[in-house]
Amino acid sequence: MNEHAVRTEDLWKIYPQEPRPVEAVRGVDLVVAPGEFVVMAGPSGSGKTTVLNLLGGLTRPSRGKVWIEGREISALPDKALAQVRLSRIGFVFQSYNLLPVLTALENAEFTLLLQGVPVTERRRRVRRLFREIGLEGLEDRRPPRLSGGEQQRVAVARAVLGEPALVLADEPTANLDSATADALLDVMEQLNRDNGTTFVFSTHDPRVMERASRLVRLVDGRVAEETVSGDAG
Amino acid sequence: MAWRNLWRNRRRTFLTASALSFGFVAAVLMMGFMNGMMEEMVSNGTEVVTGQIQIHAEAYRPERSIHDTMGGREGLDVGALVAAAEAQNGVAGVAPRLYGGGLVSSGDETVGAVLMGVDPEREPRVSRFASVFVEGGMPGPGEVAVGAALADKIGIAVGDEAVLVAPAADGSTGNDLFGVSGIYRLDLGGFDDSYALLELGTLQDFLAMDRGRIHEVAISVDRVRDADPVAERVAVAVAGLSPDLATEPWSVFLGQLYFVVSLASAMNSVVAFMIFGMAIFGVANTMLLATFERRREFAVARALGTSGVALGRIVVYEGLLLGVVALAAGAALAFPLLAHIRANPIDLSAFVGTYSFMGSAIRPQLTVEYSFQEPLVSAVALLGTGIVSALLPAWRAARLPPADVLADR
Repeated sequence: MNEHAVRTEDLWKIYPQEPRPVEAVRGVDLVVAPGEFVVMAGPSGSGKTTVLNLLGGLTRPSRGKVWIEGREISALPDKALAQVRLSRIGFVFQSYNLLPVLTALENAEFTLLLQGVPVTERRRRVRRLFREIGLEGLEDRRPPRLSGGEQQRVAVARAVLGEPALVLADEPTANLDSATADALLDVMEQLNRDNGTTFVFSTHDPRVMERASRLVRLVDGRVAEETVSGDAG
Repeated sequence: MAWRNLWRNRRRTFLTASALSFGFVAAVLMMGFMNGMMEEMVSNGTEVVTGQIQIHAEAYRPERSIHDTMGGREGLDVGALVAAAEAQNGVAGVAPRLYGGGLVSSGDETVGAVLMGVDPEREPRVSRFASVFVEGGMPGPGEVAVGAALADKIGIAVGDEAVLVAPAADGSTGNDLFGVSGIYRLDLGGFDDSYALLELGTLQDFLAMDRGRIHEVAISVDRVRDADPVAERVAVAVAGLSPDLATEPWSVFLGQLYFVVSLASAMNSVVAFMIFGMAIFGVANTMLLATFERRREFAVARALGTSGVALGRIVVYEGLLLGVVALAAGAALAFPLLAHIRANPIDLSAFVGTYSFMGSAIRPQLTVEYSFQEPLVSAVALLGTGIVSALLPAWRAARLPPADVLADR
């Protein structure tokens, strides 16, 4: 196993803009160990989402480097980067972002499909996970016929079924009521505990922060404070 | 996934597919009409007099000397020649002919004319002479039939006598009286005012030629478009009867007409290109709009590890599927329509009368002719339109920056 699930070094993201460029991320150094449950918190505009996008290879740093499981991804060509995302990174978005033409089951198995997993194996893994996270019976529903909580659980299933080393979750509870958000966090904690999946969240939801093994506070694109929870794994 | 995406906005898909289907129907119909008109031109151009295949002595054309009969001055076995040609698959009729140049006189009036010796039994299977007599009929032994314009010029009618004078093959000058058996009207200038038909044996005697001497064998075929392969078979079949025989399809001896038909055929491709070329812009615009609406989904798919190429491929598949749907609908509409118009040509006589073009009488009607080729060309063009229309949207989908799109930047 690699020593680090994620490592960044002097990470910068500058958006060219008039009258002057916007420095969204300014020299972030971050190390996340495998199996950690890390939460990045901070006010709007603090750079949380941009850092997540940089970690996930969705955008390229203006300066600095990102390693995923020891492999530097910041300079990879698009195709190789897509392959890294497919095999090593899962995403959970604030607004679920399920594909509306696919059923819950098909959405969940999307990454497995891209990975070339045979259909019977895909279905077996999806159904087992759906049972575990309370989605049993909803396999054939399309997103518009699922509640917000159900949709986000499908999104979590989609993110973890490909057995990534890292799941990046951007404000996953922002659109959910308290009970649903707690249930979703239970699911993610369970996956973190049982499978050793590394989670990195961006949020300003206190409920998420409470569950973090490490809390990273961002202010103006910089790491302002890091707190390790007393019961961190 | 591409299939499901196609039906997300049913109304838009229906309208876009309808536009493509209409393009397919229009292309197939336009080509069908063009082919119908060309078929009509070729049919009329070859059925009236020439036939679709002709056999001559190699030296006969273009001078058309009276001495250049098939088999030379010895002639050949005309019966065997006709039988050999007639036995070939695709041959509908075979008629031997002899030509001479002379004068036709009645009273004080004299005109120059082509004397054409025909077999009255066989000629109707190759040309329309027998069916266009306005008075009387085909000539028997010792008789002559003339075109209506020629008859007017020299003032003769059926039952009158006409004097024919012509240089014979032996150097003498033939000169005799012939009873007028009939007057025909082909409505093709040269044939009505300067042709005189005689029974083949009568003309052979008049020109001092043996029964084995003829200038031409005209052949009609079951299907005009098969003239070339039938001509090849006939050429092989008759080759043993004389070494100097030239067997040619209409595309050779009516070279100008063939050029026009070839030009029309090339025009078909231009028509398809124009119709589908215009469609490409409309469909591409619709697909661009459709992919723009889904750019967030594309960004998600990219985030989940879909490569740009794979994403672009999905969009291209959508274009292709759109083409397939449009093709199915277009074919369902086009083929019954073609069959209907073929069975019931559109009458244009209210707008235009019969007209003659390059020796061919064209009826004022729109009919269609089609083969496997035109629908195939249109189908390929339609599917190509679907794919080409999707290329720009696919390229955009493949290149969109996921982080920016997800952040609504």
